[in-house]
Amino acid sequence: MSTPAERLAELLPFGPRASRGGGGSARTPLGGGGAKLPRGMLGAIIAGVVLLWLFFSSYYTVQPEGRAVVKRLGAVIAITDPGLHFKLPFGIDTVEFVATERVLKQEFGFRTLVTDGERSEYAQEDFPQESLMLSGDLNIIDVEWVVQYRISDPIKYLYGMRDPTRALRDISESVMRRVVGNRIGSEVLTTARVDIANLAQKEIQEAMSNYDVGIHVVTLQLQDVVPPKAVQPAFNEVNEARQERERMINEATKRLNQEIPKASGEANRLIAEAEGYATERVNQSLGETARFRSILAEYRSAPAVTRARMYIDTIQSILPNIGNVMVVKDGKTAPLPYFEMRRPRSTPVTETPK
Amino acid sequence: MKSTIATIFAFLVAIGLLQSTYVIDQAEQAILVQFGEPVGDLVNTPGLHWKLPFIQDVRRFDKRIMSWDGDATQIPTLGREFVLVDTTARWRIIDPLKFLRSVRDEAGARTRLDDLVDSVARDIISGTNLEEIIRSKDWSVDVKALGEEGVSLAQVDLTKPKKGRAVLEKEMLAAASKLMPELGIELVDVRLKRINYIESVGRQVETRMISERQSIAERFRSEGQGKSSEILGQMERELRQIRSEAERKAAEVRGKADGEATKIYGETYGADPEFFAFLRTLESYQAMGANTTLVLDADSEFFRYLDSTRAR
Repeated sequence: MSTPAERLAELLPFGPRASRGGGGSARTPLGGGGAKLPRGMLGAIIAGVVLLWLFFSSYYTVQPEGRAVVKRLGAVIAITDPGLHFKLPFGIDTVEFVATERVLKQEFGFRTLVTDGERSEYAQEDFPQESLMLSGDLNIIDVEWVVQYRISDPIKYLYGMRDPTRALRDISESVMRRVVGNRIGSEVLTTARVDIANLAQKEIQEAMSNYDVGIHVVTLQLQDVVPPKAVQPAFNEVNEARQERERMINEATKRLNQEIPKASGEANRLIAEAEGYATERVNQSLGETARFRSILAEYRSAPAVTRARMYIDTIQSILPNIGNVMVVKDGKTAPLPYFEMRRPRSTPVTETPK
Repeated sequence: MKSTIATIFAFLVAIGLLQSTYVIDQAEQAILVQFGEPVGDLVNTPGLHWKLPFIQDVRRFDKRIMSWDGDATQIPTLGREFVLVDTTARWRIIDPLKFLRSVRDEAGARTRLDDLVDSVARDIISGTNLEEIIRSKDWSVDVKALGEEGVSLAQVDLTKPKKGRAVLEKEMLAAASKLMPELGIELVDVRLKRINYIESVGRQVETRMISERQSIAERFRSEGQGKSSEILGQMERELRQIRSEAERKAAEVRGKADGEATKIYGETYGADPEFFAFLRTLESYQAMGANTTLVLDADSEFFRYLDSTRAR
């Protein structure tokens, strides 16, 4: 037992004398007013109270999630692990508990009210003062986030800084605004979330390490990152417009995909037809010329007769089909009364002579 | 009677002992004050300490870093935007004697800090553009990398800040620290906690954001139309290309065949052009039908013998 503690124990009014009070020899100052009480009774009561105080102030229990810092007359003398421990009674030793094993959290922009195992209930109101901030392009953004931390050093946590939790909150807000302010708003809303969380966590940890307060930032998570309420419909409009753009492009592409193969088919048809024509034409010419050559060969053997025969054959074959045949005599002005070959015709037809 | 005297004596001794000792906590430092005048050295070690009873008083001071948080104050920036600025600082008592003499206690210190840090913040904020306060020195924004939404930022000034937030905070710390030694205080840091527009400006900014979004939406829509037209135009081009190529090829094929046929005809009919003309003419007579009126000269070949029977 240390000497200052002994001294203090002595100077306490119910010190060692209190136990003697049971013997009934001393009349304590407290007993002065209660002269009617039997001395022995009074002494016993005082002794009982002191014994109870002694009993209850000489042990403490450290929960599994934490550790205890033991101070003797204000000076730290030990850190104790979970379990039952004894200490000097009557406030000579005092104990402060620090939850070192638990991951604690600070919420910004929202509050969790209750958490039962399955679902959490959140406070209805927002905390716009905490969550509204400016992005680098001077737009307003509503950022909600959670900082999870652990107390890594109980002594530093208790004696490095008064109310380190408040400092953690202040620094978190300051750092988050710096990081978000260094980005373009649309980036913050979309692609930069992970970067922002990592950078902010790093900077908060740096600040905390500078203060040397024994806080270890476990993680920082961004929750809702949204534009301010009044602007949200406009953001939705952008999304809709983006969808519309995709739709229009898709429709045009669809038409393209419909028309091009069709046209290719038609083109192939056109070419095939031309090829058909070509074959036909060549064959036709070959056929006709072959016929001509045959006729010519025969014609050459008897030209005059063949010529006459062909001529007469032709006239003979065509005359029956012809509507009107007029025979004109040279030197006559009007057509001759014509030689009716087949049948009369009601209307006279005037034709210039050939 | 004897026991009563003993009790009183013990009581007095106890009071005397209580009056001549004091306990300093791990988090504390203390100065002894005698009739209002500080005496002795700074008591810095935690534990039990002695003092003169009744005439010496203990003034305790926190050894730890403490937080200071200012009220949100409305300050105009260099660009005349009004912003609400909320600063926060960490400080500690490094010279309790000076601290005791200049500000007495923490409440006094806070008042001084309120005045000092606020005025420093006011000076620095009102001499700086808002962009400078919001952005930091490591500002690097690549508009191209922002993609399709970046185009709307053309009207926003995206230049790198000359100083940036962290540097301004350092300047604030330096400016505010100047007077601190006299107060026995050390400022650990000064930080800008919150910077927000005042409500009326905030509404304007929201309106601007809305119109900005709407212009982006409008661009998406017209981009859609543009892209659609582009695709359709491309389609038209391809269609015309396909069709004209096909027509050209068809004409070529036909022409070649026609040429070949002409060649064949030419070679064959060239053997006896007169006979060909005769033959083809006779053949073409076959085309005459019922609607034709044929006028024949009486002197023609066909009537030669008809005539001669009469008079020739």
